[in-house]
Amino acid sequence: MRAASVLFASVIAFAAIEGAVFHTGLYPWILNPDASTGYVETILRNEIKRPKTGPQILGIGDSRMLLLPRLSNRHTAETGYTFGTIATAGASPRAWYYMLRDADPTSRRYRAIVIAVESYDDAERWNDENDNNEDLSYLIARLQLSDWWEFSRSYHDPDWQWKAARGIFLKGLVYKRDFQDLLLHPRSRLRYAKLNRRDAFSWNYNYDGPPDTLADFHVDWAAKTLIAPPNADPGLVQKLKFRLLDPLPAETGNESRYLTHWLGKIYEHYRSSPTRLIFLRLPRGGFVRPDQPRYNPHSSVRDLSMEPNVTLIDEHFFDSLEKPEFFRDEMHLNGPGMVPFSLMITQEVSRILGPPR
Amino acid sequence: MLFNTPQFFVFLLVTIGLFYVSPKRFRKWILLIASYVFYMSWNWRFTPLLLSLTVIDYVAAIWMERVESPSRRKLFLVASLAANLGFLGFFKYYNFLAGMLAEALRKDPHAFARSIVLPLGISFHTFQSISYVVDVYRGEQKAIRNPIDYALFIAFFPQLVAGPIVRAREFFADYYLWAPPISEETLRGVLWILLGLVKKMALADQFAQIADSYFQNLAAHPGAPAAWSGVVAFAMQIFFDFSGYTDMAIGMALLLGFHFPTNFRRPYLAFSITDFWHRWHISLSRWLRDYLYIPLGGNRHGSLMTYRNLMLTMLLGGLWHGASWNFVIWGGYHGALLGLERVFGRKHFQEPPNWVVYPFRVLITFLLVCIGWVFFRATTLHDSTYVIQQMFIWHGKAGLIPVWLTCMVAASLAIALLEEKMEWIERLAHGPAWGYVAAVVTLLFTVELIGVTEKAVPFVYFQF
Repeated sequence: MRAASVLFASVIAFAAIEGAVFHTGLYPWILNPDASTGYVETILRNEIKRPKTGPQILGIGDSRMLLLPRLSNRHTAETGYTFGTIATAGASPRAWYYMLRDADPTSRRYRAIVIAVESYDDAERWNDENDNNEDLSYLIARLQLSDWWEFSRSYHDPDWQWKAARGIFLKGLVYKRDFQDLLLHPRSRLRYAKLNRRDAFSWNYNYDGPPDTLADFHVDWAAKTLIAPPNADPGLVQKLKFRLLDPLPAETGNESRYLTHWLGKIYEHYRSSPTRLIFLRLPRGGFVRPDQPRYNPHSSVRDLSMEPNVTLIDEHFFDSLEKPEFFRDEMHLNGPGMVPFSLMITQEVSRILGPPR
Repeated sequence: MLFNTPQFFVFLLVTIGLFYVSPKRFRKWILLIASYVFYMSWNWRFTPLLLSLTVIDYVAAIWMERVESPSRRKLFLVASLAANLGFLGFFKYYNFLAGMLAEALRKDPHAFARSIVLPLGISFHTFQSISYVVDVYRGEQKAIRNPIDYALFIAFFPQLVAGPIVRAREFFADYYLWAPPISEETLRGVLWILLGLVKKMALADQFAQIADSYFQNLAAHPGAPAAWSGVVAFAMQIFFDFSGYTDMAIGMALLLGFHFPTNFRRPYLAFSITDFWHRWHISLSRWLRDYLYIPLGGNRHGSLMTYRNLMLTMLLGGLWHGASWNFVIWGGYHGALLGLERVFGRKHFQEPPNWVVYPFRVLITFLLVCIGWVFFRATTLHDSTYVIQQMFIWHGKAGLIPVWLTCMVAASLAIALLEEKMEWIERLAHGPAWGYVAAVVTLLFTVELIGVTEKAVPFVYFQF
């Protein structure tokens, strides 16, 4: 009897300490801001604590959603809207859902959510996004015990299902690397985390983007050749060739199912709220390959656009930006490209929403 | 099913649960079925091998006891030994001997080689069987009449794959007088399991990464700092790995009401090689002493014969670990050191020195043991000699062991010293509940935050 009670007490004590440290905001407070979880936490924390006066518009997407709120907000007097963004490099639609859920728990904080997608046709990807291994690290601080079943089952790979399932219960398993790094350099970590909490918002808000361009690159579509300048970074050349010249992945419907599920979850979050969901198709790159994915009339976003509070910005709205001088690599806008991109979003979204009521 | 996987813990909990809720007469069946399920989860094709060795030794022991003629008794003993050593020899040493034969005949080294998979735990369960049969032959053990009892002794899952090598009289003393574990034993059992997990996942698997990165690419890490850190990392890996496994086996057995002998007694606190072998893999040392060294004559026939017996025992002990000259050299190296210690005075190396000299003796012993580990870990003789050369050439960059792992070793050393002086595990199980709870919580957090949990790394001794 003594053994049972002592063992029970041990389990309870472990669960209580694990819960207090990792299932509350305690540990996320000192996460390494440069690591996956810390990076997402910084972005979300900045957005959550950002003072919000007047109607708000929030952008979300991956690293290609290069909306500069600093530029958009110069026009607040004309548009009436204030812009923010939680776009995160490497974040997937699954991550967007959980990030939005925490950034806007009441579904009423924003007038509109601007969601940047790669394609309106659910273009297939080489990798199965369901098994995006970054998502668990990105979201671990945001996942709750009630997410256990849905989140872990959303992976297709049983190994990842297991990692997600145990990670949601024992978050320390996911924080492991971060914790070991903390053990190695406790002082510098605490200092950096504090500095990040204080200044990260202005670091991000004042980001200008790099000046590099693809202006010296050329593509001969007929010969299927990329002509690169002699001093070009070989890594960049390889990525450009892969994106522009390699065959497109075969259509399997996987990406469509994935997007339908997670964009659908985002829609469900805002279904009965005054928030409008506005989708935009990202500029495809400095060079646009001629063999684009097949038109899909029943893609996830096109089906969603039938709903009353969902709008698609014209698919070709950003075509004018698809020039080598506006891109720094195979898919990211550079500094000079980010300026018109941000201003175009500001104007178009404001137009769609009309003057604030 | 590795001991450090969730699947195994589910299996363990189900087995323990079924064991205690079942009527007493079914319990041995549950343990036997669980043990065979555990064995078959690795490779079911070897089940007939385990079964046939069990049947051969079971029958041989009974017949040995029945017949009165010494020559016929010996015949049964030889038959049983031939079966055990024959299987062990075929699976473990066939390719080694085939390679030597090919070399002698100047043929392609793989000319006679076969693709042979080593059955799990064969080195351990054959030694356990041999000790039983020899004990029956010597009249020190009654033959077990119930085949289920004997089959369980051989296949009992906590020690089936990597020991400790349990004597029949130890096992059956618990078995026939079985009583459920008292509270303190249960608490101790859980603590041993957690301690084993920490040793394996938080220490051995971390050190394994350093040792592997060094030994798998020797050319990339020249110089003494890298060589010593690679070798010390392996010394830590193999100790924490094997003793971690043993701790878990002892803990599991305790939860099922069995008491396994101690297999490790803080070996890196040994003050001599003689002392080291009283602390390292004790159940194997004991087996080698009782079934090899003493039958060879032990120390009863003068100094020269003693050295010969010592060397033979250690050479065979080395060979037991694996079919390679490196293991033979490792055994020979320890045999030579043991012989030297005898030459310089047995008493001097068996009795602990005073506290001033003790740390130096411990350090020297540890360094000597580390040199031996080079032969154990390196894959070829050429690599071994290269590493030993590097260990004594002072150039190259810094060591490979990060500061935090050094701190973990320092903490382990402090815990080992405490255990040496205070037997803290025993005290925790008997002491106030808060102390036990604090220890369990600390161990669980160590596994969670430091342990290698991305993949289950197999135990080093499973390959033997």
